[in-house]
Amino acid sequence: MSDMTNSDSIHRLLRLKRYEQPPEGYYEDFLGDFHRRQRAELLKPSITTLMMERLSYWISEFRVPTFAYAGATAVAVIASVAILRVTPSQSGSQVNFTPDYSQNSFSQTPVTIQKMQPVSLRAGLSGNGDSSHLFPTSYLLQARPASHESPLSF
Amino acid sequence: MTAELETPPNNDPELVARTQGGDPSAFDELVVRYTPRLYGLIYNMTSNHEDTNDLLQDVFAKAFRSICSFRGKSSFSTWMHSIAVNMTINFLKKRKRRQHPSLNDPDNSIESDPDFIAATSQGDPLNEISIHELQKKLNAAMSKLSHDHRAVVTMFDIQGTPHSEIAKILGISEGTVRSRLFYAHRQLQTYLHEFKKA
Repeated sequence: MSDMTNSDSIHRLLRLKRYEQPPEGYYEDFLGDFHRRQRAELLKPSITTLMMERLSYWISEFRVPTFAYAGATAVAVIASVAILRVTPSQSGSQVNFTPDYSQNSFSQTPVTIQKMQPVSLRAGLSGNGDSSHLFPTSYLLQARPASHESPLSF
Repeated sequence: MTAELETPPNNDPELVARTQGGDPSAFDELVVRYTPRLYGLIYNMTSNHEDTNDLLQDVFAKAFRSICSFRGKSSFSTWMHSIAVNMTINFLKKRKRRQHPSLNDPDNSIESDPDFIAATSQGDPLNEISIHELQKKLNAAMSKLSHDHRAVVTMFDIQGTPHSEIAKILGISEGTVRSRLFYAHRQLQTYLHEFKKA
């Protein structure tokens, strides 16, 4: 009961705060202020726009010395010349895959299609040293370049 | 003038529909209608006129931006009050340091209010305290409450909002509203014990 009474007295005291009112004319002017602030917000640039503006300004202010361009060009020319000069000498060390025909006769008999038979790699290795686990079952044509055929093979 | 307790006319749905349809003058009507009530809500939570003005502008700006998402599941009044309370509580959380209050002068009609007479004189003219003294003490006591309790006290005790409506605004049960009020009143009694006889 006492709590109820105390609560009620607090309630009545707090209700006095409703008399605290803003200055005269505040409510009447509020809508105008609201419109003004809304328009100001529209004119205010966004953070992204501000960042872009600052970045473009910084780039425009960023001055590269003239000799830097000349230096960069010189480096590019030297690097190009170096690359062009190194490339031919390196090509000599490359492996030449062109077959050497000098020791073969052009008159030798070419391998005919009848000689080509499928051969299983597994079949040849099944006796000893089975390497089927190394190679999948496959068949190769016994075809060798004509240049590798012995002249006495016929 | 006690504009807070005036019940707004119930053509809110029509004004909302017009605003959603692209008529900004309809929103202006809503602003004019809700300014006094929302001002009272924010002011009594912040105890600062300038902060209240800024927050009220932000509240209406946010409401205008998101009015298209208002589907009418609650009343427009509840929706507006929810925005105002949430924004004010967020503001108070950010404003960690207690600011110097900027209080409005009470209306002259307070002097004829029986509760004021009872609170200030307590039947003894020699013990009479000034309006401003009472105002300071009430604000000091309110500022001791947590943000959530202050919101409930403001809406129920000062603005006369029913428990059920407060529950909808805050998204809590009526029981929680009552318990917060009970706890807040108990706290306030310790700060305002000298006025208890009022």
